[in-house]
Amino acid sequence: MAVEVIQAMPAVPRAGLLRRFRRAVVRDPLALTGVVIIVLLLVGAIAGPWIAPYPEQGAGQSNVPARMLPPSPAHPFGTDGLGRDMLSRVIMGARPAVAVSLLVVGLAMLIGVPLGALAGYRRGRVDAVIMRITDLFLAFPPLLLAMSIVAALGPGLDHAALALAISWWPWYARLARGTATSLRERSFVEAARSMGVSDLVILRRHIVPNSLPPILVQATIDIGTVILAAGSLAFLGLGSTPPTPDWGLMVADGRTFILDQWWLSAFPGLAIFISVLGFNLVGDLLLDLLDPRGTR
Amino acid sequence: MTRFIVRRLAGSAAVLLGLSVITFALARLVPSNPAAIYIGPKARPEDIARITEQLGLDRPLPVQYLAYMRAMLTGDWGTSIGTKRPVLEEILARLPATLELIAAAMLIAIPTGILLGILSASWRRRPPDLVVRVISIVGVSLPAFWLGLLLQVLFFRTLHLLPLTGRVDPNLRFSFPIADITGFYLLDSAITGNWTAFVDVTWHLVLPAITLAAYPIGLIARMTRASMIEALGQDYVRAARAAGLSERLITWRLTLKNALIPVTTVVGLTLAYSLTGTFFVEVVYNWPGLGTFAVKGLLNLDYPAVMGITLFGAMGYVLINLVVDLVQSWLDPRTRLA
Amino acid sequence: MTTPLLSVTDLAVQFVTPDGTTTGLDGVSLEIGQGEIVGVVGETGCGKTLTGLSVLGLLPPTARVARGSIRLDGRELLGIPERELRSIRGSSVGMVFQNPASAFNPVFSIGWQMRAVLGAHERLAKGEAEQRIRETLADVGLVEADRILRAYPHQLSGGMLQRAMIASALLCRPRLLIADEPTTALDVTIEAQVLRLIRRLQQDRGFSVLFITHDLGVIRAVSDRVVVLYAGRVAETAPTATLFAAPEHPYTRGLMAAVPRAGSRGRGALASIPGSVPADVGQVSGCAFAERCPIAVDRCQTERPDLRPVGAGHVAACHLAGTGVAA
Repeated sequence: MAVEVIQAMPAVPRAGLLRRFRRAVVRDPLALTGVVIIVLLLVGAIAGPWIAPYPEQGAGQSNVPARMLPPSPAHPFGTDGLGRDMLSRVIMGARPAVAVSLLVVGLAMLIGVPLGALAGYRRGRVDAVIMRITDLFLAFPPLLLAMSIVAALGPGLDHAALALAISWWPWYARLARGTATSLRERSFVEAARSMGVSDLVILRRHIVPNSLPPILVQATIDIGTVILAAGSLAFLGLGSTPPTPDWGLMVADGRTFILDQWWLSAFPGLAIFISVLGFNLVGDLLLDLLDPRGTR
Repeated sequence: MTRFIVRRLAGSAAVLLGLSVITFALARLVPSNPAAIYIGPKARPEDIARITEQLGLDRPLPVQYLAYMRAMLTGDWGTSIGTKRPVLEEILARLPATLELIAAAMLIAIPTGILLGILSASWRRRPPDLVVRVISIVGVSLPAFWLGLLLQVLFFRTLHLLPLTGRVDPNLRFSFPIADITGFYLLDSAITGNWTAFVDVTWHLVLPAITLAAYPIGLIARMTRASMIEALGQDYVRAARAAGLSERLITWRLTLKNALIPVTTVVGLTLAYSLTGTFFVEVVYNWPGLGTFAVKGLLNLDYPAVMGITLFGAMGYVLINLVVDLVQSWLDPRTRLA
Repeated sequence: MTTPLLSVTDLAVQFVTPDGTTTGLDGVSLEIGQGEIVGVVGETGCGKTLTGLSVLGLLPPTARVARGSIRLDGRELLGIPERELRSIRGSSVGMVFQNPASAFNPVFSIGWQMRAVLGAHERLAKGEAEQRIRETLADVGLVEADRILRAYPHQLSGGMLQRAMIASALLCRPRLLIADEPTTALDVTIEAQVLRLIRRLQQDRGFSVLFITHDLGVIRAVSDRVVVLYAGRVAETAPTATLFAAPEHPYTRGLMAAVPRAGSRGRGALASIPGSVPADVGQVSGCAFAERCPIAVDRCQTERPDLRPVGAGHVAACHLAGTGVAA
């Protein structure tokens, strides 16, 4: 009976983070800009083919007679080496960018959070083993591991996503371990334990849900960071393959002509920059809300 | 103190060992035949078989790994498939170029970032604070490769102010050649009084260094700001004010030291960032350093080169963390290891 | 009659936040004579710390002085430029805080910090400065001057740190020492030592003390006169002996009854004052204590009581003070 009560007990409310966020966003112009950017990005990702003026070119169909045209009212972002409308290319590049990021962050959380929560809750041997493994992964200079994996597997968006997910999960494991360690001392967890509730249920019902706020904040920021990482990999040739409208790939393609046809690299790169900026601006506000000491 | 260093290095050795296993496994994941790549496109089956045996690629994996580790510990880091020269030699030959670039970038980033952070914290919630916050968030969001390209267009093509690529004007090799003493062009030209070359090298360093410094400036400024704000809110600041100390003394002597403690960690992070950030900057500026070597190696599946670079990079990372810890213990007497 | 050293008149402090304005101090007046120890007592949030901070202009950024006057030796302190305030802080007026461990910067040695204080006010030659510091350290009972000066805060005990803080505050021979809960964070035995130290120093050097605390026992042991604060207003002021013998304000009486006495164990329930402090006393038109007062009448709800005299040097802010109505 008491066991059912404990099991039915809701996780400690997350202090209405979403509500506080909504209120705070309106007051902060920087964060508001970030939200606008993210919304635009999502719109581009979801409705790209319907918004882009030349969706077929965006997908890769060439139009060679119109190649290398500078920005103009007909082609606000100019055209590329194969005559494709850059604006369409950039708009439709939103989908692969967002898709990869969500996939990477989702995978990283899926692997990292349970492992980290387990390590932080159980302590002892389990903790030591899992932490040694994360230390190993985190000892690689950033992106180097991902680059090596993609090099080994061959270029391609899926390989890049896998490589990035493998590089990213240790951060979430670390984060989840930290929150789990502090949560296990809290009274409602002790109460559940004393009632004989199994570890798995405690993890699932109490530890993980209460760890989510900082993890979700990190995930939000990371979506931007992954867009940048995936774009960087693509720039080097370790990401998508043509004709995918991948922003990093477009910057690389335009590099040969950068001095005279600057628009080939400028706009896709701008897209990456603005996307990352948007997530960082929003992430900043979220960090502010999480920080109890008001040091920001 | 030495005991601490030794203990840390020993612990890191274990990590490096694990890394070598991972990297080795990855290299062997390569679907294509490394022997075939080694020889080139005109490989005949007999040649492939011969090279496979010659490179020891037909022996079981653990044996290969042990052989490789034994070789590495004696200084034989394999031979680059791309350049056919010893990997270690390639790495050491290109190291000065990369180090010079990273050093220049850090020399720009650290003072700039810290000063911006102090400015931002001292004028909190007023215009300078907003400006610095925008600068720093832009800095950490900028893709380095994109920034590099834009700077090239602006300063080379449009303004004709700075050179496009490379470490030095190739023509100078005949008129004012730089002596090969350390491999650091700035040092070498300064030591020999070769001021023409010195100026030229500096000019060539400007854009790449700024490109590499953008992210660190952003990160360091943010951390310094947050850290200063926290330090300024501490009780000892109120006590210092109550004792009549001037704001200038409080900001620049009293709280700066406290604020810099977390900043050292961030500086370590930015150094780690530049280990791979330099790849992108070097590619954009055709900088003859480790970055271009690494990227070429990755794209051409030159696994000895990739393994060498990875382990070298990881060792560098370990060294950076060690130095960061030492600096922190010097700054913060509470964590002193004496 | 000599001019009081410190004279606070009708001081009002407000907190301004985006969510609104609340009142921290609502017309506080008190005086400290030359060489007098005045204790300010009240529960957490009554504004006693605010009073101390106001004297030195150290209010938090969200607070501002709404009205009132603070005079040190006849000189008005409110509104003077920061530069002049700074020359007073640490030299004419010294301040000691509650938590000695956090009042010192953890990454500098004690000696460095004390020299900084001295250097901010007096141009002494290095030798003279060292001598002054060592003399002051000896005065507060810290004999191993070498070790203390070289040490970092985390290497010293709480009691030693508090003595060092007192030494810091007395370096420039102030006329007034403001002590904000100086013993609250200390063990009882150390507390007794520090209180004795403050009394001795006060007798030797003749400075006045504004002693802020929530502990009635400490107030009784150390002060000459007591000011009782409630919700940002003065409830009662009296010489120490008088206050403890015959308190007139119902709040003061309630405070004294609420203190558990040794030996009273098991005899009757613990007395406590029902209700809680008003959230924003600026909104209260009548007596701030009316809601919780056992002898309140209608007048108490509508009319704010002045401080009326009930004896020699004894005033109380209660409509029923001096009328003999038992609480």
